[in-house]
Parts: sequence; structure tokens; C-alpha cells
Amino acid sequence: MTRADTLARAGLLDRPALAYVVRFPAADGTRETELTWAELARDTEWATARLREHGLAAGQRALLTMSGFEGFWGHAVIGALRALKVTYGIAEAMGWDHRRTSVFHRELRPHAVIGLSAETLEGLSGVADVGEMFRPTSVVLARPAAVPVLRALGVSACLFSPLGPALALECPERSGAHVNAAEWRVAERDGELSVAAGEQRTSPLPETPLGIPGRVAVGRCACGSQDPRVLFSVAGRPLSSRS
Amino acid sequence: MVGDRDTADRYFEPQVETMPRRRLRARQEERVLELVGYAYANSAFYRELWDGHGVHPRDIRSLADFRARVPFITKDMVRAYRARTGDPFGGLLCVPGEELTSVSSSSGTTGEPEFFAEIWQDAPPLVTAQVRDLWELGLRPGDRVLSPPGTFRNLMDPGYQALGAVVIEVDTWMGRMHEVVEAMRTYRPAYLQMMYPQMVELEHLAEKTDLKEAFSSLKGASCAGQPLSRKMRERIRDDWGIDVYEYTSAADTGTAWECREHDGFHLWEDTVFAECVEVGEDGWRDVPEGDLGELVATDLDNRAAPLIRYRSEDLVRLSGETCGCGRTHARMWVAGRRGDETLVQGRSVVLRDVWQAVEDQPETVAGVFQIVRDRREVDELLLRVGYDPALTGDVDALAGRLGEAVRERTGVKPVLDMRTEEDLLKTMTSVAKFPRVVKR
Repeated sequence: MTRADTLARAGLLDRPALAYVVRFPAADGTRETELTWAELARDTEWATARLREHGLAAGQRALLTMSGFEGFWGHAVIGALRALKVTYGIAEAMGWDHRRTSVFHRELRPHAVIGLSAETLEGLSGVADVGEMFRPTSVVLARPAAVPVLRALGVSACLFSPLGPALALECPERSGAHVNAAEWRVAERDGELSVAAGEQRTSPLPETPLGIPGRVAVGRCACGSQDPRVLFSVAGRPLSSRS
Repeated sequence: MVGDRDTADRYFEPQVETMPRRRLRARQEERVLELVGYAYANSAFYRELWDGHGVHPRDIRSLADFRARVPFITKDMVRAYRARTGDPFGGLLCVPGEELTSVSSSSGTTGEPEFFAEIWQDAPPLVTAQVRDLWELGLRPGDRVLSPPGTFRNLMDPGYQALGAVVIEVDTWMGRMHEVVEAMRTYRPAYLQMMYPQMVELEHLAEKTDLKEAFSSLKGASCAGQPLSRKMRERIRDDWGIDVYEYTSAADTGTAWECREHDGFHLWEDTVFAECVEVGEDGWRDVPEGDLGELVATDLDNRAAPLIRYRSEDLVRLSGETCGCGRTHARMWVAGRRGDETLVQGRSVVLRDVWQAVEDQPETVAGVFQIVRDRREVDELLLRVGYDPALTGDVDALAGRLGEAVRERTGVKPVLDMRTEEDLLKTMTSVAKFPRVVKR
């Protein structure tokens, strides 16, 4: 007679192999791909390793800002935080919810803020000194449009972004956001990024232009990873490393 | 396959959901007695409060003792503790902070958001509390659901997925209803979580879109955040063909949903001990069953930061009578919030009356309005009302009609601040709530 019992009962149901149908904006409109539980488990494992590189460890706190339709990566990141035994707070990534981000940040003093959006920063800028707020935060993983704003204020922000159905996450070397090479292929064509499913993915996704300006760096990162790295351009300017 | 076999079965946990009330009450007593000792030993807030009231767990040997001795708590008491000590959890936390899985919060529409400390394994607590309700609605393994508008009480997907549902990622927040309609046609989902602004937006789309056809795959949709008016509910059910299930907060201990009978909100009493009381300056008393009182709740399944005898400020009627669905857990009917009543030069004005007057005008049929006040007792009734510009030729004429309709319903001539619906809905600062009573 507890919620745990309810979930134990639910565990007896036959779940389909599919967890999500991921819809994402591409250059030629909305596209979709499927995400299975097995893939979600591998995505979680990859996110765990990336967050561990940022020093996230048991006993720390994180603040996650995301939207309701971002569960395909949110689920994996939450799974990673749980695996690392990091307690997370959660707020919306939409600008109007900046107040909760502010209160979570002030009261919980998170070691990491993940998924920070430009809209949240815009909301915060009217009521807080954004630089003062985030400079003491050890790890700030922000979306592409938020990164230059933060870096201009002296915040050592790293890139964090959905890339179609994939997740791109920069390591502390800040030399581009890693994409899991075992699961995805990323490429650059005419200055824009594209993504394709790797052979392991159940749902085939041919090379799909995303309409996102940027380029891809290959070769071993200083962190040791062989994953390709994407470098986004924001407002026509490349988000260069350590800028 | 369990899911297939149980498709015709209405109850997800039949032995719990239809448990005789006598046994339910015995379980509650057992759980409450454990809880009192646990909270006293582990929560700084409860220890301080109960010591101040001369209450010790050894004195609490029955539910009657619990109700007679353990004091009520309020949101303001927890906020005061938080302000005094700097503890973000207001002293409620019963475990070391590092044992928490997650922290969600209230919407913060009426003040500083309060935190909810969470410990969980497979799905966050709030959505787990909804699993039985979603099963009652008809959700079954393999069904598709559209992703919810927000994450304000944590990611909801794991709850749907616990039932074997597949989540379709669609941005269902304000301004996206045309995409939602398109996704409904493409993916034929069985369930959709909605909030009030989406309903208003759909009302506009209804003119040019066959919503009944678009929503025909739904087994049900839920709506929370504020009660639907009778007119809106009829529109959703009759014109759009959606079986809409409203739900509300179970005093911050979980949620309470309508079942298919649509006759009151079921509290899951194995997770909450609910009381319906009237509190006055000289003490409190139980209100007779079916009469209006304040919902007081005690968390029975929360080892992180349980609420114990928490005054919700929700004015409800409570009944332990078995529902037409066969469930024995209590149902409640929500009349409003304590403090939402406004006194205009001594005359009582309640939201329901204003709402009906607003809904009766075709240009404001969506019922988008707010009472603007800095305190409960005011000299004039200031109403901010949202109108549909596509249906409004002359705003002044509408204001004249509306002002008179409000006067007829409430006895008070209002001062009207007319805005477009869109402008007014844009002031929302939560996916969950459109506040009806706001400060200037």
C-alpha cells in the first residue's frame, strides 16, 4: 500500500520496447525517430560518463532546466544524475519560469546547472546579476544561445544541446560538444549540421540536415574521447572554444 | 500478457482501491503511529513544534490521540521556519539531503515556491500517485501519450511509461495547439495532459478545425491547475468529444482525480490521511460529512519530508461513501480556496459568481479573468478580463454588458480592466496555474 507497491504492480505489465517517439526540428520541417528502452539505457550510460568528467559525484546537487517535450534526453540525464547519486532540482526551461530557477539556485546552491536556456537568462537578467549568480557555480551546461551570454559575463559555461534526437555535451576542455559516436553520426554540410542514426539504433535515420549552423571537429579531444564534437554558430559567429 | 488480460478490469490495484473502509482506517492508524515517531526523531520542524505543544510520540497511541494532540501546520509556519533557519526545506526533511533523489517545487504563483523533497526508484512520486487514475482513464500498455506541457513537479514520462505507454514528444505549451492537433491526427494518442490555457487556445481553433475528429483517438484527457467551469466542460465533452478528467492537489501530498463517474475527486487514502475541519480562534471541529470544511492532510507515504496535519486552505466537501465506480477511498468536491472570497465594502464576492457572468458573454466565454486586490477587504471590485479579439467588435460595449452581468450576479458593480485573452494568459508564470486572485 505504497507508491512502491503500485510501481511493483506496474512492473508486471508487458512494456513495449519503445519508450519515446522523438520529434525534432530539421532543415525541412519536423522529423521523427523512435527511442527504445535499450537505447535509452545506453544514452544514460553515455551521459553518466560525460557528467562524471565534469566532476559530478555523490552528495552534490544539480539544477536541471528542461521542457516537458524534452524527456528523450531529460530521461537519460536524470538517469545519469541518479546513477551518480546527485540530487537534482527541476525547473522549466521557458523564460517565464526564471523565478524558480533563481530560487532553486539560491536555496540549493547546486554544483551544476544543466540545460540553462537563453530565455531563462533573459528572464533572470531583469531581476538578478546573472554573472554574479552563475560564476560561483562549478559546472554550467548551457544551451548554445545562452553560452556566449554567460561567457561574456565571465561564467565558464560549457555547451549542452539536443542535436536532433541526439544529445551534444561539452567536456571541461570546452572544445566542442561531444556526440556519442557509438550511436550517432554527425556531419557538416555547407556550414550546417546534420545527424544520422548509427548502426546500433533500431530506428533508421538517414543523414538529416538540421538547419543548425555549425561545424564538426573530429579526432581525439584533450579529454581522451574520440567522439566527434560539434561547434555551434550563434548569430553568425562560431562558438569557439574558451571564448 | 497482464496488460491485455486486465484491459477490461477497472482497478489497477483492486485489493487496495476497494478495500473496506474499516480496514483502510486501520492501515492509516498503523501508518500514522509509525509516522509520528519517525517525524519526531528526524524532523527539526516537527520536534520543535510538538515540543512546544507538549506532544511526544509516546502519547500518541491511536488516530484519536493523533487528532486530539498533534497540532495543525500551515504553509506560513513552514515558510517562517525556513526564513528563520535558512533551511530550504523548512525543517521538514527527515533524511540527510544527499539521500534525496530530486527536489521539485510548487508553482510559486502566490509567493516563494516551496520545495518538495523526493526519494524514488522508478518514477517520481507525483506521477506515481496518478498511475491508478491513468489506468481508470483507460491507459494501457502500448498506448501513446503526448508529452505534458511542463516538468514543474518533475518529469512525468516515467509514470506513463510505467503503464507501458509510449511518449510522443510534442511541445504542448501555449501557442502550439495547432501542432498538437496535427500530432493527434498523426499519432492517435490515447491520453493527453492539458492545462487551462490550452483549452482557451483550442476554443479559438474550434472555429476552423474539426476537433472532434482530431481528438477521436483519446481515451481521455486530464486537466488540472484550476476547475473547469460547467460551460467549458460541456464544450470539451459534447463539442470536442473528449472525456475530460479533472484532477487537483491532494493538499500537496499527491493528486486527487475524478474517476469515470466524474463525481468528485478520489483521494488515495493509503497515501494520505484526510480530515475535513473547521478551524476557528477557539479551536477546531470536524464538519459533518458532506459539509464544507478545510482539507487537512497527512502524508502516509513520504519518508523524505512528510506533511503532517497540513492545512491546505482548500475548502472541500468530503465523503467516505463508496463511489459508483466501487472504490472505497474518500472523494472530495472542491469549492474554492480559503481567502479567495473578496469582501467589497462588506459584501461577499466569490469567484464562481464572477466566472458565470464572464462566461455568459460570447466574447469572454473562455472565462479568462482575475480579481485584482491587495487585501481581502476592498472598496471596489477590480476585475481583469480577457476577451477574444476575433469575436469582439466594441470593447466598451462588451465592458458595459459584462459590468452589468457581474453586478447582477454579485451585487457589486466592478471596475473592469479589459485585455485580450492572449495578453492575460501571457502573465502566467506556471504551467500548472492561472491565478484567479492576484495583487495589483
